[in-house]
Amino acid sequence: MRAHDTGASRRFTRWIPAIAAPIAIGVGVVLVPMQANAAVDLPDLTPAELLELAASSEVDALSGTIEQTSELGLPDLSGLSGAMGGGSGEGDSDGSADAEASATDLDDLISLATGTHTARVYVDGHDARLQVLDRLAERDVYVSDDGAWVYDSREQAATHVTVDEASFEALEQELEATHGADAEARADQLREQFEAEAGEPMPTPEEMLDRALAKLDETTEVSVGTDARVAGREAYELVLEPRDAETLVGEIAIAIDGETGAALAASVTARGASEPAFRVAFTEVSFEAPDASVFDFTPPEGTEVTEHVVTAPTLAELEQRKAEAGATGDGMPQPVVHGEGWTTVVELPAGDGTAAGLDAEASAMLDALTQRVDGGRVLSTSLVTVLLTDDGRVLAGAVTVDHLLDVAGR
Amino acid sequence: MSSDLLGSELLTLFRRRRTWAMLAALGLIPILIAVAIRISGGSSPGRGPAFLDQVAGNGLFVGVTAMTVAIPLFLPLTIGVVAGDSIAGEASHGTLRYLLIAPAGRIRLLVVKYLAAAAFCAAATLTVVIVGTLIGWALFPVGPVTLLSGATVDVGEALVRFLAIAGYVTVSLLGMSAIGLFLSTLTTVPVGAMAATAILAVVSQIMGALPQLEALHPWLFTHYWLGFGDLMREPIVWDSFVDNAVLQAGYILVFGTLAIGRFLTKDVLS
Repeated sequence: MRAHDTGASRRFTRWIPAIAAPIAIGVGVVLVPMQANAAVDLPDLTPAELLELAASSEVDALSGTIEQTSELGLPDLSGLSGAMGGGSGEGDSDGSADAEASATDLDDLISLATGTHTARVYVDGHDARLQVLDRLAERDVYVSDDGAWVYDSREQAATHVTVDEASFEALEQELEATHGADAEARADQLREQFEAEAGEPMPTPEEMLDRALAKLDETTEVSVGTDARVAGREAYELVLEPRDAETLVGEIAIAIDGETGAALAASVTARGASEPAFRVAFTEVSFEAPDASVFDFTPPEGTEVTEHVVTAPTLAELEQRKAEAGATGDGMPQPVVHGEGWTTVVELPAGDGTAAGLDAEASAMLDALTQRVDGGRVLSTSLVTVLLTDDGRVLAGAVTVDHLLDVAGR
Repeated sequence: MSSDLLGSELLTLFRRRRTWAMLAALGLIPILIAVAIRISGGSSPGRGPAFLDQVAGNGLFVGVTAMTVAIPLFLPLTIGVVAGDSIAGEASHGTLRYLLIAPAGRIRLLVVKYLAAAAFCAAATLTVVIVGTLIGWALFPVGPVTLLSGATVDVGEALVRFLAIAGYVTVSLLGMSAIGLFLSTLTTVPVGAMAATAILAVVSQIMGALPQLEALHPWLFTHYWLGFGDLMREPIVWDSFVDNAVLQAGYILVFGTLAIGRFLTKDVLS
């Protein structure tokens, strides 16, 4: 009997490491982030002081990793886009390639609106680079004084966007020549008006901030949340809560680095939700200037390069455009903005045949995406609602469906 | 003493015809890819496995393409055979008793078996990369390699990066080897342990593809398997290499201790 006991206990001691290892890992997984957050206690700031800290931030060089997660509550479209990609026959090569391209574009869009994305950012003065890390692929945006490069490794395509500065200078000179005196007079007038309103000469930046806060306070509750650790740095949390009950936005939180005042994270939470619907945050950041070589880009051999030059319109073109916009009826329908602040609703008036022009595939997608309501179809996500009315108007806003229907009925 | 044991274990492993057959099968993957592209021409961007479209322009990509093809099934299958056979194979041959009669302790035997499996992981990934590079060199033009970021590196640096990829994939497979070793201590039927290990790898990858299980994903041992692309960026992003190593170390710790617990309390009858 005794021998049996010691045998059993010896057996048990031999299993101890196997029991201890997962426990140790579990404790580590729980404790390490807790400890990291517990230690944060920055000196208290009022919302105004915190905004001032953020405004005075002078970070012009950094490198870091950002992570974006979004959970917008879109209907699951993966099956649909797959069906579209596979639906095209293998017969005609051109047609199927096009269909496939549009399907992958759709996939890209859906993948951006859902799930998690990691990217690295590098900034140094005027040079900047965004490196989106996809699985076995990469998308890059390089920005410098000479323009911007957009590179996609999957498509092996690069786009070079340059700005035709000469055309902008020409426009500026033209504008100055015709409106120079006018503009100066207007600036004076504005300043006088401002001083009359304020009852005093130009306010100091702090006063401006106070006033802006007071204005903001009418629609939004601004507060300082709990300090936290973001990307290993101690950060304040600025919380904006809309006072209007009609909006879907519950809370916007911005993490502001306690030392430099740089924004380290931002998240948007829908009303009534506990997890943010959209969040972008640094997981790692350094405020030292990155190595200059990370900003270099020359399109590799075999890459399809698209040149895209942005030119400024001449004055004559500008005026023509203005005239066109002014003329009613013709041209593109102009969006109408209803309301202001959090409950702003943008309305696109009925164009010619927007709904009728849809082919079967697109309308099937529309059916899958939207819900039927009285007077139209609604696409609702946790943050944005879009209403397609039966008479062809499109209304969108970060508001409830009822509010949108209300606006549409007006 | 234990280095002797490890040496003889490695000799046994690499003298086996089965080991060489598996390595040859792995080497066949890049050869098949290269010959197929050589005969039928390159593919357009965005179709087929990653890097496939680059092969026709630069033969060095054969190795990486073969790696993306081999990772989901072929590599786990061969690792499953070696790791699953480690203890159960000896037990089924009736040689386990004799191994334990020798002054080598049970823990030492487990460690040696595990190191041999790890050595096979390295041999398997190197086979894919080296055979791929050689066949690519033979059949296609070879030149500076375009990385995912659009930067271009010369052939020498590209080869170093390919070796780093082999290292990354070897590390990725270590956790799975530990699982295989543990399963191998549970049974005296080696085929059972082999199949269970390979199936677990597939199950883990299926779970990794289900968005509903997103919370579980960072804990799956297959989670970082295709993360070797980070070594093809400029500058190299090491985050996934480190995360992967930490995750695999966790699996080695958990399943290594489980294997020790099981093997120490097991009655070795054969």
